[in-house]
Amino acid sequence: MNDPKTNRQTLAQLVADYDWLEAHCRKQPELARHAGHLRLAAALARNIVGGSLEARPDAPLHIAVVGGAGSGKSTVANFLVGSNAAEANPQAGYTRHPIAFTFAPAASWPSYLGFLGPLRKLTESRPSNLDEDVYQVRPVKAATPDDPLADDVVWDCPDMTTWASTGYVSRLIEVAALADVIVYVASDERYNDEVPTQFLQLLVKAGKAVIVVLTKMREADAPALTEHFRKEVLAKIHDDGTIPPIPVVAIPNLPQAERDDPAKTGAKWRVQLVNQLLVLCPTAKDARARTLGNAVRYLETSSDSLLEVARKDLIQLEGWKAAVSQGQRTFEERYVREYLVGEPFRRFDQSRRQLMEQLAPTGPAEYVGKGFAYLRLPFSLAWDFVAGMGRRTDMPNLPEGTVLANAWTGWMEALQAECLRRADSGGLWKESVHAFESGLKQQGLDRFAAFARQFEQTEGDELEQAGRKLTESLAANPSMLGLLRYGKLAVDIAAVAVVVWWTWVPSWYHVLLLPVAAAASHLFAELVIRWRVELVRVAARRRRESRLREQVAAPLARWLDEVPATGGSSVERLQQVLRRVPENLKALAAAVSPAKTV
Amino acid sequence: MTEPIAPDAPFLRTLAPLLRGLERRLRAWSEARLVNPVTAVARAEIEGLADDLHRKAGALDVEQPILVVMLMGGTGVGKSTLMNALAGAVIAPASFARPTTRDPVVYFHQSIDPEKLDPALRLCRLVRHDRESLRHKIIVDTPDVDSNDLANREKLVALLPVADVVLYVGSQEKYHDQLGWELFKGQRQRRAFAFVLNKWDRCVQVGPSGVRPDDDLLKDLKAEGFNNPKLFRTTAQPWVDAAAAGKAKPDDLPAGEQFAELKDWIELGLTRLEIEAVKARGVGQLLDQLARAVQAIRPPDLTAEATTVREAWTAALDEESRVAADVLVAALDPRSVEIEGHFNVRGQDRFRGLMAGYLKLLTLRYSWRAFRPTLASPASPADADLDLAGFAAGCARLAGERVLDRRATALVNRLLVEANAREFPLAILNDRTAAAAARPGWDDRYTRAVVESLTEVERELTNPTGAKSLPRAIVRLIANYLPEAVLVGSIFVLLWRFFVEELTPSLFHVVMPFFVTLATLVLLHVLVSFVFPLRWPAIREQFRRVLNGRLRTEYERTFLPIPNELAELILAERKTVDLLSEEVAQAVEWLAARESAAHVGELYGR
Repeated sequence: MNDPKTNRQTLAQLVADYDWLEAHCRKQPELARHAGHLRLAAALARNIVGGSLEARPDAPLHIAVVGGAGSGKSTVANFLVGSNAAEANPQAGYTRHPIAFTFAPAASWPSYLGFLGPLRKLTESRPSNLDEDVYQVRPVKAATPDDPLADDVVWDCPDMTTWASTGYVSRLIEVAALADVIVYVASDERYNDEVPTQFLQLLVKAGKAVIVVLTKMREADAPALTEHFRKEVLAKIHDDGTIPPIPVVAIPNLPQAERDDPAKTGAKWRVQLVNQLLVLCPTAKDARARTLGNAVRYLETSSDSLLEVARKDLIQLEGWKAAVSQGQRTFEERYVREYLVGEPFRRFDQSRRQLMEQLAPTGPAEYVGKGFAYLRLPFSLAWDFVAGMGRRTDMPNLPEGTVLANAWTGWMEALQAECLRRADSGGLWKESVHAFESGLKQQGLDRFAAFARQFEQTEGDELEQAGRKLTESLAANPSMLGLLRYGKLAVDIAAVAVVVWWTWVPSWYHVLLLPVAAAASHLFAELVIRWRVELVRVAARRRRESRLREQVAAPLARWLDEVPATGGSSVERLQQVLRRVPENLKALAAAVSPAKTV
Repeated sequence: MTEPIAPDAPFLRTLAPLLRGLERRLRAWSEARLVNPVTAVARAEIEGLADDLHRKAGALDVEQPILVVMLMGGTGVGKSTLMNALAGAVIAPASFARPTTRDPVVYFHQSIDPEKLDPALRLCRLVRHDRESLRHKIIVDTPDVDSNDLANREKLVALLPVADVVLYVGSQEKYHDQLGWELFKGQRQRRAFAFVLNKWDRCVQVGPSGVRPDDDLLKDLKAEGFNNPKLFRTTAQPWVDAAAAGKAKPDDLPAGEQFAELKDWIELGLTRLEIEAVKARGVGQLLDQLARAVQAIRPPDLTAEATTVREAWTAALDEESRVAADVLVAALDPRSVEIEGHFNVRGQDRFRGLMAGYLKLLTLRYSWRAFRPTLASPASPADADLDLAGFAAGCARLAGERVLDRRATALVNRLLVEANAREFPLAILNDRTAAAAARPGWDDRYTRAVVESLTEVERELTNPTGAKSLPRAIVRLIANYLPEAVLVGSIFVLLWRFFVEELTPSLFHVVMPFFVTLATLVLLHVLVSFVFPLRWPAIREQFRRVLNGRLRTEYERTFLPIPNELAELILAERKTVDLLSEEVAQAVEWLAARESAAHVGELYGR
């Protein structure tokens, strides 16, 4: 399980899945709000879980300074670093890519694959308004050698509020995911803004350790504003209304001198901030363990939102499957009603005749049997005439092949019409409309032809076997057959004898009565055999129906069910992703768990 | 200002009825039941535009139009402070608690009757003043666009349609925040925009890098098409403090501060001419938008498609009627005895006298058949037509249950797919086609088709025309009179021999005339069945053909007119929309002449 290579592959797959889901969300306006969550999930997996797999050392801890445009992130970063390292200026949204300030030599910079994902490290120093997927590392000198943050990296991040920020907010998320501590900067103007607050909420949910820095208020207003912020903003971050234990530090509007020299003139503000950091992260090891544990927990609990993302697609898939199975029902029903109900299975009439012939006596008794046959002939003819008048032939069928082909075309066209009706709701339905236009119908016909051929091939054999079984079952049992044959003959003789004895002194009406007597057993035998054959016929019909389901309807339904989820469609990928993400997460959680518990 | 318009020319007022007329047309369109489907978004846009027209018409239908200037921006940028500075007194609350303004403040001259204000403004906090310079202007302070309190944004969005000029207020932090910017982009085609960069004092301390916020903002605006926007750099707070202290002007203003210019522009720069031009421009923008919206709802012309669909459907319906006829004939096959019986019973009517009696005797056997329970016919055997209808209904029901009902659903799907392949939108056809197929009474129609076809076939057979009619007439004549003649003749012969030849007749002689008559009848019957072929196998094919024709007519009558009817309805809708479009174009033209009358171009951008 703890094979590093496998783990790396698992991680890469997990990240790729998150990325795909994010792109999928961005395509649908109503899902866009999930895109940020997924980006964060991918970044957490890459940077925190990946870091743990690659045994990234606990130090340095990463501190990310985030906040709305112009709220004073660079100023706060300067206070953390202890020198005027970050470019602070009044242009809102000046910083366009993350900038790391590190006290440590550049050699200790993490360099494993996947670190900060899509961001490329700049080798030379560039202005912070370079609008590309990059980050840069700027070494700074610690104010004092024993500076408490000397082991840490401070990140000055871009904003998330200006209209241009949609282009670079992903860089912010990447670094925020990497960070062990988030310093959230909010000015007196910004602190109750929607967009930054949502971002803060996302980070708190992801289990990041957060310090809030309120800036720019008049110094006298600082305590009141801090209290107000706790009540108005922090209380709303948790759904249950509890205020998360997030420390809030106020840095009021400072004179230029204090801003220019954070380590000395502005030391008062710096100390306050650094103290909070030290309280949050007493040791690097604990801090990192917390970061990892929380990240894994967040990823594991965020599977619900994955389902949320997929819900529309899954509902559509359900709709498609319902349409397919409705089509299958109609298909089977049409086959049964249009063909099977009226199919007489003439083969069984032949079996019936054969069975009657089997009952005729053999050997010397054959002549006796024939004699009786002549004797009952007048009655038999009369009986057949009367029965024939009452018998109703059933409505003849269309040929089986035609019925099946029509039913299949009907099934496909019903699906196509359904897709066209629902094409406006997009997604699967729209994709299926295109599929129908680009040859799905022909594919369906080919497939159907193959299944139907197989179905029809086995059909003749089946009837032949059933018919033969009917006659052979009696032939295979000679003693029974003999008993029936001679029993019937004996009954005939007895019946004629009884009639003659009963009405002795022959008269003209014996001409009528004797054929009746001679026919009694024959009639009875015929009724029994007819009933027996009818049972076999019903069974054959039922077997044919179930065979149609097995050999034609069910395979076609299975194929149709899969149609939206094949050929690289988004539903196919979505299903894969939904299956894989929890699995991969579980594997990775197990892989990093020793690190978590130590 | 090329050609000054006389100040008392109430041309804006004359615009009001025009706008009302357009509004009525729009409302009529949105209330009508439309065949061509319109998306909910497009419908909502049209309805919103109708509301806007209504509002504009109301605002223009006054002696002198009143300009509504609305402050818009993020929380904390200083909208309320700016308002207070403009008013010279604290009329809107301003504090560090965000968001501050929850209820909009409306600042207007006392000469304006609050009842005449737009309904959206009447619900706000109303503050009246007596400043002559702002007599025809209403200044509105609005809630924010970006705080966690989403209700504020809704209030702002509800207010925005009232605005003629939007004062987009930004601060050093928020001058191009996304939420405000999106709102600006959404509204810029509809109203005038001026820009304020408040908290100017925070913008002037430029560091070693980056551009000054006002330059940054001007760059953004240029990208949006505002080459020369009205931008005022202000610090409102000192002005409020100065006013409170009773001073005319604060002491230490940062360089380039322009609040005084802003105030001058609002008070003096926006003259009546400017106001009317802004109003006219506002109407023009609304009409432009209307023209676009109307173009978007213009239904397609589907006449050509309808014709091709008709052709495709004809083929499909032809095939369907063929199958239906096959199925119905197959359902009749087991009933051949009844049909023959029916024909024979009807055949009696052709004959009279002995022949008729003889035939009646023979067809008695059909009568008892009609009573049998397997024939689901409630009809009495005495009434032949009713009997025929009854058993035809039975056959139709059987055929429907077994085959035709399911085929009807499949037929609709096929028709829809065919139509879609010929680019006729399915959304339009779906309901009508499904309704036509689902209309109850297909059983009855099949029944009627069967009965009528049988009757027709019978009529063709029994009342032939041309060469065939002569032998039949002869046969009928013979059959009607020969048996009686034979009977009478043979009795006459018998009597002759009895009386004249004095033969003593035996039983044989007495029975002889009847035997001879019977033999004649039998011979004639044979002749009749040769000449009048009423055997089922003989007429089956002809019957199938006739039935097929009738079914095809029935199917075509039901389905074929649908595409053309719908196409015509849509064409009518298209004409309505075109008419609307034309009227809008006329109004735009009418306005265009007046638009360049004043210097308001920079408030709009490209």
